[in-house]
Amino acid sequence: MSIASDMLRGHTDTIILAQLMQNDSYGYKINRAIVEKTGGQLELKEATLYTAFRRLEQVGYISSYWGDENTGARRRYYSITPLGVEQYYRLAAEWEQSMRLLQRLIRPDEG
Amino acid sequence: MEYQIRAYVDELFQSAPHTQQAYELKVELTQNLLDKYNALLAEGRAPEEAYNQTVMSIGDVGELFQGLAGEEPPAASPMPQPAPQAQDRNSRAAVVTIAVMLYILSVVPLIGLTSLFGEYSPAPTLGVIIMFVMIACATGLLIYHHMTRPPKAPVPSTMVEDFKQWQAGKSQKKRLLRAIRSAYWPLVLAFYFLISFGTHKWYITWIIFLIAPGIDGIISAVLTLQEPNQRKGPPMP
Repeated sequence: MSIASDMLRGHTDTIILAQLMQNDSYGYKINRAIVEKTGGQLELKEATLYTAFRRLEQVGYISSYWGDENTGARRRYYSITPLGVEQYYRLAAEWEQSMRLLQRLIRPDEG
Repeated sequence: MEYQIRAYVDELFQSAPHTQQAYELKVELTQNLLDKYNALLAEGRAPEEAYNQTVMSIGDVGELFQGLAGEEPPAASPMPQPAPQAQDRNSRAAVVTIAVMLYILSVVPLIGLTSLFGEYSPAPTLGVIIMFVMIACATGLLIYHHMTRPPKAPVPSTMVEDFKQWQAGKSQKKRLLRAIRSAYWPLVLAFYFLISFGTHKWYITWIIFLIAPGIDGIISAVLTLQEPNQRKGPPMP
């Protein structure tokens, strides 16, 4: 959580939806993927992660179900809903737009 | 150490609302923390270090629990109920109002017809009949009002509530008694006028009011005695 955590926090929902676009997953696995993809520079707090899950589930972007592993561990899996897919594309487009704008404003010579 | 993680989560959820959602979240969180802890062990961390890192990663659960509390009201759904209740109360008030109006207005046809056609025509008798019908309607409405009074919403959970419910069961019989009572005296009054106007023997018909309390007593005695065996104590939980 060292780099620009404030800025990243605003995109928690987008990050989670992006993970679920690939396949159904559960809390630890999603966080694990985030850590790996960022080379350990970003890790969501559990509280942040589950708050986001509840919020996304309430508005119908994701749904959850209990998996039944043979090992006795019960995990709650999340999957993205069609509504969530739509929202993901919307958020991703927004992100690309703001990234282009920021690029132009902050590093005009490189843009 | 796994036990310690479970104990830590247990303690954390002491302050959470006691709901199904909170319980499921607890199960979910515990499992994910254990996954994380075991992964850290697999990376070669010492148990102590792995435990500390796992617990540290939880973060501030205040917001999370707030979300759980916020989700509760729709589940309990206290909102939709007051509206129909208020509506119910309105319609019940209307029933009583109409009944009272009928009582008051019941003498109007009698007075009107008598003054229009004179005392020695069939008009007074017709007036009395109309009055009697109106009183009967009003009485019927009042009985309906008493019989349909909704019982107070039972919330069976504690011994106190059980007792209250038991009392409510008793008072249901009382309500029937009261309903009959409320109809009784208007009927007596109507009967008095009917007899008096019919026979014109006003000097003696008042005796009805001496007989009526006796009959009233007999009716309530019969109704009370009918179910002497149904008296039971409150159910023991």
